[in-house]
Amino acid sequence: MEAYEVIVIGGGPAGLAAALAAHKAGSRVLVIEREERLGGILKQCIHDGFGLVRFGEKLSGPEYAERFIDEVLELGIDVLTSSFVTELKKTGAGFLVSVVNRHGVTDYQAGALVLATGCRERTARQVLIHGTRPAGIFTAGTAQHFTNLLGQLPTRRCVILGSGDIGLIMARRLTLEGASVLGVYEAKPEPSGLTRNLVQCLEDFDIPLYLSHTVTRVFGEERLTAVEVAQVDERIKPVPGTEHIIECDGLILSVGLIPENEVAGQLGVPMDAAAKGPVCDNRFMTQVPGVFSCGNALHVNDLVDYVSESGEMAGRYAAAYAADGTDSGEHIAFKTDDSFLYLVPQQLRLEDRDKKGVLYFRSRNARRNAVFTMSINGKTAYTRKYGQLKPPEMERLEIDFGKYPIQKGDELRFEIKEVMG
Amino acid sequence: MNVKKGNQRLRKRFGDRVRVREEEDRIVVSGRLDSWEDIVEACSMCVCKKGNKHVVNDIVLEGRDPKPMRLPAERDSALEGERPDVLIIGGGISGASIARELTKWKLSVLLVEKEADLAVQASGRNDGEVHPGVDLKKGSLKQHYVLLGNRMYDRVCRELDVPFKRCGQYVGFRGWWNYPLVRLYAWNKKYVCGVKDTQVIGRKRLREKEPQMNPDFQFALYNESAGCVCPYGLTIAYGENAAANGAKISLNTAVLSMEVQDGRIRSVLTNRGRVWPRIVVNAAGTFAEDIAAMAQDRFYSIHPRRGTNSILDKQAAYLTGAIVSFKTVKKEQGHTKGGGILHTVDDNLLVGPNAVETYEKEDFSTEQASIDAVFQKQIQTVGKLSQRDIITYFTGVRAATFEEDFIIEKGRRTKNLIHCAGIQSPGLTTAPAVALYVEQLVVEELGQEREVEKNPRFNPIRKGIPRLRELPKEVRDRLIRENPDYGVIVCRCEEISKGEILDALHSLVPVATVDGIKKRLRPGMGRCQGGFCMPLVAKIISEEEHISLSEVRKAQKGSVITYGRTK
Repeated sequence: MEAYEVIVIGGGPAGLAAALAAHKAGSRVLVIEREERLGGILKQCIHDGFGLVRFGEKLSGPEYAERFIDEVLELGIDVLTSSFVTELKKTGAGFLVSVVNRHGVTDYQAGALVLATGCRERTARQVLIHGTRPAGIFTAGTAQHFTNLLGQLPTRRCVILGSGDIGLIMARRLTLEGASVLGVYEAKPEPSGLTRNLVQCLEDFDIPLYLSHTVTRVFGEERLTAVEVAQVDERIKPVPGTEHIIECDGLILSVGLIPENEVAGQLGVPMDAAAKGPVCDNRFMTQVPGVFSCGNALHVNDLVDYVSESGEMAGRYAAAYAADGTDSGEHIAFKTDDSFLYLVPQQLRLEDRDKKGVLYFRSRNARRNAVFTMSINGKTAYTRKYGQLKPPEMERLEIDFGKYPIQKGDELRFEIKEVMG
Repeated sequence: MNVKKGNQRLRKRFGDRVRVREEEDRIVVSGRLDSWEDIVEACSMCVCKKGNKHVVNDIVLEGRDPKPMRLPAERDSALEGERPDVLIIGGGISGASIARELTKWKLSVLLVEKEADLAVQASGRNDGEVHPGVDLKKGSLKQHYVLLGNRMYDRVCRELDVPFKRCGQYVGFRGWWNYPLVRLYAWNKKYVCGVKDTQVIGRKRLREKEPQMNPDFQFALYNESAGCVCPYGLTIAYGENAAANGAKISLNTAVLSMEVQDGRIRSVLTNRGRVWPRIVVNAAGTFAEDIAAMAQDRFYSIHPRRGTNSILDKQAAYLTGAIVSFKTVKKEQGHTKGGGILHTVDDNLLVGPNAVETYEKEDFSTEQASIDAVFQKQIQTVGKLSQRDIITYFTGVRAATFEEDFIIEKGRRTKNLIHCAGIQSPGLTTAPAVALYVEQLVVEELGQEREVEKNPRFNPIRKGIPRLRELPKEVRDRLIRENPDYGVIVCRCEEISKGEILDALHSLVPVATVDGIKKRLRPGMGRCQGGFCMPLVAKIISEEEHISLSEVRKAQKGSVITYGRTK
């Protein structure tokens, strides 16, 4: 059986960054990708805006991915494409990874694992859309696959439900392909996507955005013929009497992303219900020693630049773990309140209390003049001011924990507070 | 029946708007009413338990026009002039199983199904339970066939290579005071009704077997013979085995009218030509009454009843390993046990169904209210049940008669006709046994003209598409080495390979649509609901069938997925 120090599951932006970092840290690395080509979902993101943080350039998705793919290939890192992990098992020394591909079923041994499995889209059924079951209902990502990878127009006249970024991007994309996008309907009172996408994809193309509106029903036997939309109240329940019918042949859904952690489940990795990814420490190691998580499998990022960043950290620490394999197991769990949608990672390793750490978070509510606060045993230790915080925009910050006298058993509490005035 | 008393009751309830009369072979209720619920009530009031006359509903529903039967878009002469010995109308579990049993004889069998696949209506939209029959009354056809059918399942599923699990059924009861009554009920079921596996188990054993069930249940009615099967999987398997043994299956084929002369069906007009069968089997589900009318043999009516089921993510599957529900001793309204929670053969949970009367036979739309009602009830069976785990839901329509029993008999006015009608729950369980009986009726009837010979080449064994994800590693490895396409995973949620999809496209009853593949193999039935794999499946279909992507359909004609090349 072939053995690697680090096996990375997933060849998208997180996995590629993890593989590069682990390789540079001296590990023998294998990347396993289920699709035919590396790059993950970036392959179909042909719009620009990728890499602003990381490279200071506006790249398209494939261009962004290409930089990492080229480096992986140049460095000669082992890659398996069209290969699907069917089983993960803890063994004495590390992990057993079973892979299915055109050559058969093959087992590999790994010292450490990086789970970079990305995320999937919420479906029409998960937002409880009712009515008939015609063709013509797509998640935004599926519509994007048809349009950008297969060169097929999935709709001529459509309504978009949900103002997530992929939905906004697809509103513009389909308009450019000659389809009429009749409107974007968002059940929440605020948009879910990034401001830049609202401006560049909707405003610039005169596509109306209807907040506090949702699709309540779909019609059509063979192909979709119409949808019913209605205004919703603050509890997102449709307001009777506000329904109206819109004739269309397509309904595109952009109603949220869910980290994919089904393989993590096989190893019994504990999950954070809020972030929907594994509970991790500052090294992006899950609570199963030797298993690391990064990118959109860890939490849904808004920018790919941060996906790569967490991938790099996970890869580097996975290499370190594979090299010495020790784990003191001592942690300080971060305490958060409901001012956060989530905070990642969720723990600080005691031995890293003198090091810098990166935190990603989303505020539960839109706020102006907010302060991110870290307190130790009730005493405020670190603060950072934000002019505004919005749930759709993920925040990233770095804290030098070494600056504070953190001891075993201390309580580390994080809060987002309003500043008066 | 006592017509005078019947009319008195009707007058008291509905005034002069409705009346009943008795004919030689049926009971006819006629008049005008403006609510479908009232029509169902009026007809149900006229049901006569003695004798074998069924209620025929001739009441006009005022102010509403039920939609006509959906017809396939195809118009050709593919079947023109065919002279099958047997024409089976309907490709649900009844029609498909009857077709398979009839291929044991040297008979030409033609099965027509108006939808684009087998098992599209009731047989594709039910909970897949193989019932023990504990809730049925002795003396009904349902009860007679459920006991026979249930016992046949192990053999039938082995022969047809269909997954089947006897997972058992638990019906919980809350109060101890019900115990003597339920014990008596169970005794009656076991020794009088012949449901031999009926037991009452105590709280402790119930907790051991089903730890997630409501701890308030003090005891439960338990039937170990209850099981689950994939209902459309079994229907397709029956259809494929029938086809392998010589039956012809014509999809997208609807019966439009019949030519009846001297009490015999002479010819049957379809959208694909006129056929001249020696005998016709009516297994048309909710449209059985319409077929009976075309054959001038309408002696029963169907009142459609909708039911909605939800499917939960595999992550919720730990909530039960069996079929669980609860009962209160006080009499419940309606004709279903109010649904339950079932651990499917594919390791999802299924929750439902409910029951709502409707005059629309093909309204398969879903409503949130149905799902809410079912969950509100079933949360009392398993407290951790949550709508958050729902990955999909669907509605089916049951083909109920007013007597709430099956009609399996030769035509009353038309000779060369056999009805297999009024098939609702537990019609999936009963199908294997009913098919044997219908086979006997057909052979008997045709045997009067000339002797029917056995088909010496009949092979009851069907080999299904290998389910690679369930095979041991070594076997899977070997199969992939023989056919590398088995190693290319297309559907990540259900782990379905390209090789399996190609097998389905080359099967005996191939349906080269996204839904056809989904029903045979499950890509699109997992938690992403086809988000990732649907474009890949569409691409494989387009390559294999040599059609463009914009010609690939979800299901029937018109259900296109894309509109051609982008700019």
